[in-house]
This record gives sequence, structure tokens and C-alpha cells, in this order.
Amino acid sequence: MTRRAFSAIVAERLRAEKRTIAFACATAAIVGFIQPHGIAGITDPQVADTATRSVWLAGPMFFCSAIGIAIALAQGPGRHAYLDVSESSAPLFGRELARAKAAAPAVAALLAALVYWLAQYLTGFAAPPTFFILALACVFAATLVALGATARRGNPRALRIALAAGTTAIAYLLAVYADMFATRAGDAIGVGTELAFCILVGFLALRDYGEALAAR
Amino acid sequence: MIDSTPCLRMRDAAFTLDAVKVVPPTTLAVGAGEHLARVCGGPEHASTLAMMAAALTRPTSGAVLVGEYDPRVQPVHCKRLAAFVPHDPLPLAQIGVERFIEYRAALWNLDIHAARARAALLLERLGSMHESFAYPIVAALLPFPRVLVLDRPQPAYADEILAAAGPCAVFSTHVEAATADRFGRQEPVLA
Repeated sequence: MTRRAFSAIVAERLRAEKRTIAFACATAAIVGFIQPHGIAGITDPQVADTATRSVWLAGPMFFCSAIGIAIALAQGPGRHAYLDVSESSAPLFGRELARAKAAAPAVAALLAALVYWLAQYLTGFAAPPTFFILALACVFAATLVALGATARRGNPRALRIALAAGTTAIAYLLAVYADMFATRAGDAIGVGTELAFCILVGFLALRDYGEALAAR
Repeated sequence: MIDSTPCLRMRDAAFTLDAVKVVPPTTLAVGAGEHLARVCGGPEHASTLAMMAAALTRPTSGAVLVGEYDPRVQPVHCKRLAAFVPHDPLPLAQIGVERFIEYRAALWNLDIHAARARAALLLERLGSMHESFAYPIVAALLPFPRVLVLDRPQPAYADEILAAAGPCAVFSTHVEAATADRFGRQEPVLA
């Protein structure tokens, strides 16, 4: 696949979904501002660290993943039939098409997540960039898993949507609580396991989506 | 040397979805430069048959060959030979005609200047046809396909469409026999 074809697919998909993306960014800004930021007075430093991290990450991970899943599902057939027909009739392999089609909702989810982080930053309780990368990884993974649902019907579709929600929950648990089992390693266990999990799930989900497009 | 290989062949090609036979076993052949119109039992039948012919949908049984290629094995080769035109018009409110041609040229990796020039020529041949219906045909013909597959085309523009296709073979699906007559050889109605 040429870079030109890749960018044409991504650009047209983003353009077609510009209203959805604007709506997603606006809701991300609102939720980022109004989400509860405070934690109760805690004296144990480790418990305080976990509580702070849970507040930092819950909003961006769950809300922005939900946005990513919604945008991914909007890529399904029928909404922009002229793009679906053009893409599927072009001489492109399924895996190439999957990469290009996945890039558009991933960019849209990234924008919404960055707007969310900006809103948190303006309220004075933004997660440090290192932790926000964890939220981004989770959002990408959930979005890619949800994309697989757009190429299927019935139970396999419902399964992909449930897996996308499950991916978010597991990534959150790893990011917030994995360090409790390895206090000497600091944040490395939580950060490492969550990133490894999201990269693995994202890779498998993209392959699954490519296989589904190729099998049509 | 003249290539005698048919552009499109189907042998008992059928499509079943959720135990419902959408396309009954179909056998046909379209030679180079030929026009073949097939009357179908309904819109879903017509649409699915056209998509099978353009390698966008794989038959659940039987065989389809586009040129010498099987869509199940070499879908990309098939898509280089067959061009699909959907029944629905292009929503011009969502994508402008210029951008649509640029987009299609990018997907097929065509030179943009050559694509624009060819689009203008094809549009001239399509004459009075409304842009919403003309541009999908123009876009499909840009990469010089061997067979143009039309899903329930507009019968009022039959002459213009066949003129624009030129030496390219044309396979069209229809739900009415009178409509199919305007696009070429008519096949018996399938159950």
C-alpha cells in the first residue's frame, strides 16, 4: 500500500467523521473539567499513591476508551457507504486496509484523550505525562478491539464490544494496582505490564480486523 | 494478439447468508468487450451478485473467476481487473467531485493529472447524466478495468454508460427485464 493511499483513507475517514470527533472532543473537555479530582485524607503513602493514580487514570481510561469504542463502531458499513465501497473495491490487501481504517478512529480517540488531559491540566489535577501514556495505550487497544466488531455480525460482534470494554478494565487494574504486588520496583511493574498488555491486545486486535476484512 | 480469456466467469456461484439463499447458483461468462445484463429476483440478489462479480463478496459455493484470478485466492488481482459501481448515488454533500476523483486516484495509485484528464473525458461521454450517478462510473473507469460491474444502473442513461465504458466489458444486474434490455443480452429470471 502506498503512503498516498494510506493518507487518503485516513483523511477521508476523519473528514467524514469530523462532527463526531468534534462532539467527542467537546464531551471529553466537559468530563475532564467536572470529574472529581479530590481524594480522602490518607496517611499511608502507598495507599495514597494508589488512590491518586486511580483518580488520575479512571476518567481518561474509561471515558476516552468509551469514546474510542464509539468512534470505532461508527466506522462500520453503511454510515459512509461511498467510502466503504471505494475502500473495499480498491486493490488493497485486507491487512493494509485494516491498518489505514484503524488509523482514523485511533487519531480521533487520541484527539479526544488529549483534550481530556488538557481539561484536567487546566483544573490543576492532570496526570503526569508518563501516566497519561498508560491511558492512551488503553484507549488505542480498546479502539482497535472494537474495530473488529464492525466487520462482524451477531454474537462475534457483541463479543468484540465486550472484549473492548474488558480490555479497558484490565488495563486500568494493571495500571493502578499491579504495583501493590511489587513495591520495590516502584511504578515499573504497573507501567510495564499495562503497556505490554495494551500493545499485545492492540496487535492481536489489528490482525483480527485485517483477517476479517480479508475474508469478505 | 487477442486475449480470448473471458473477463468474468461464474460457475454455480451462490451466496447464502444466515441459511437464506441470497443468490441462487449462477453460471455466466462475459467475454472481452461484451455486455451482459442479468435480471435478478430482487434488489438484494442484484446487489450481492454484482458484488460477487466485482470480487467484493465471496461466493459461499461455486466459483467466480475475474480474468484468470479467483477472488478467494487473489482478491487484489481481481480488483485490478473489475470495477464496481454501486446502485446508490454519490452523496455530493459529503464529498465534492474533485476530491472524490483525487481520493479514488490515490487508492488506485494513479497519476492525479492523468486521472483528472480522463475523468473530464469520461464525464463528457456521460453527457447529461446527473453528477451523483456519473462520478461513481467515472471513478470506476479511471484505472482502465477489463470489466465494469454495475449494480442496478439507471436505465435512462444506458446509452451514455455503455459509450463511456468503450471497449471495457460490462456486466449489470437488474430487477426488471425491461431495464436489462437496455444494457445488453438479457438472461432468464432466476428464482
